[in-house]
Amino acid sequence: MRKGAGFPRVGHAERDMDRRGFIKKGLSRLFYIFGGAILAYPALSFMTFKKSRTEKIIFHPDEQQSVLNFKEGVCLVRKGSEAYAFSMRCTHLGCMLNYGAVSQRFQCPCHGSVFDRWGKWISGPAKKDLLRVPFATEKNKDIVVTLDI
Amino acid sequence: MAKRGMHISGYFPRLGLASLILCIISGIILTFYYRPMGNVFQNVEEITTLVPYGWFFRQLHYASGQVFVILMLLHTVDHFLRRRYRVYSVGEWNLLIVSLGLCFFTLFTGFILKGDKEGIFAGQIFMNILKSVPFIGAPLSKLFMVPGEGFFFLPYLYHCFFLPVLIIYFLRAHIREWLPDHKFLAFSATGLFLYALIVRPYMDIPPDALVGEVKGPWFFLGIQTLLKTMPATLAGLIIPGLFLLCLLALPLARKEGRSSAPSGQQGREGTARLGEAVLYYLIVGALCAYGILTIRAGIRGP
Ligand code: HEM
Ligand code: FES
Repeated sequence: MRKGAGFPRVGHAERDMDRRGFIKKGLSRLFYIFGGAILAYPALSFMTFKKSRTEKIIFHPDEQQSVLNFKEGVCLVRKGSEAYAFSMRCTHLGCMLNYGAVSQRFQCPCHGSVFDRWGKWISGPAKKDLLRVPFATEKNKDIVVTLDI
Repeated sequence: MAKRGMHISGYFPRLGLASLILCIISGIILTFYYRPMGNVFQNVEEITTLVPYGWFFRQLHYASGQVFVILMLLHTVDHFLRRRYRVYSVGEWNLLIVSLGLCFFTLFTGFILKGDKEGIFAGQIFMNILKSVPFIGAPLSKLFMVPGEGFFFLPYLYHCFFLPVLIIYFLRAHIREWLPDHKFLAFSATGLFLYALIVRPYMDIPPDALVGEVKGPWFFLGIQTLLKTMPATLAGLIIPGLFLLCLLALPLARKEGRSSAPSGQQGREGTARLGEAVLYYLIVGALCAYGILTIRAGIRGP
């Protein structure tokens, strides 16, 4: 910055120095940008990695007797011969729903979405029906629901 | 130093710094029992009911944290209203605004760390709003929170380490005197100790309890209300993002005007003034609207 302060005119040597300084500065900046970018990719991959895990929820035969059966945030529906299961997490932003036995509806305590007892959206910001989750029936009649977490 | 007859503006940052120090000390004490894994709710209940003086340190940490962030907000609003952003460069002003945002984020992660129903739901909502960011949502959310047993771990890391360090680092040039004046420290300590001794901790809601309405932290009650009627990306990201952008851009309008002034371009100076005025009143309007929304949600529920 103070280069050439006392000189009335800048000589060739000075100008060369300036140019060299400029190139040097540019190169070092490029080095940092590229170095940062090269490091950022593996770093971000590391930081955002999550091993996929599943959780199993088992409905034993005595836990499948009602039309609606609740266990650990999952609702198992048994309507005659039909059976399906859905997650009781609100499809809006993921709060756990309350089931009102009198109103026979699922209600969200966070922003007020309402679903009917079959998991169909009725009102509120969620807009989508509750998410069906896969399940399998074991030989001993246990129903096993698998959740991705 | 406390000056005789100091203007009220001088009290906010000085009391704030004193509260921050009490908050950090009580936070460090809490970490000796707090565990962000396993049954976090039970762990926090044990702090309140079993660990000697746990109730006191928890209450002290809660109150000093709230008081610190509220004073930082008042300090910023005070300087903003007196148009003091004019004395800062764009970079300096932006660093201060970002630091205020980080203070609120620290408060929010603390709210999650309680591990009760409110904390868990707040974390869940935060994670899902981040996931709704187009393209980068899924990896972005994993930088802050992951579902499953590690749910509280990242908020814990941010709360106790990254955020306090970052806030102190960003404010290093802004705060001229890091050791608070002992009069202010004594005043804050007396007030907060009395609060922690007298006021019983608020009842935490167990994660599996049935409650009709779960409220977020006070500063997000307005957003919680907006989320009832607006899409999550709009209420949770675009509106707060635009507000932040207006705040960050404020000194820019001013700078444009000033740099063109010596060349005598009256027109550009006029436009910059107008730009600054529009931004200023937009921010004041948004702040008032959000304040009203928050108070309404506080009284009648979000
Ligand atoms: C920037 C300053 C900080 C603020 C504003 C802040 C604020 C808060 C708040 C509001 C809570 C929730 C308390 C409750 O509702 O009961 C909390 C919890 C907690 N904080 Fe902080 N905190 C800060 C710094 C720290 C530091 C530096 C540590 C530790 C090194 C810490 C450790 C904790 C722990 C372990 C909890 C969970 C225990 C509980 O919920 O009571 N905090 N914090
Ligand atoms: S999370 Fe259920 S309505 Fe928002």
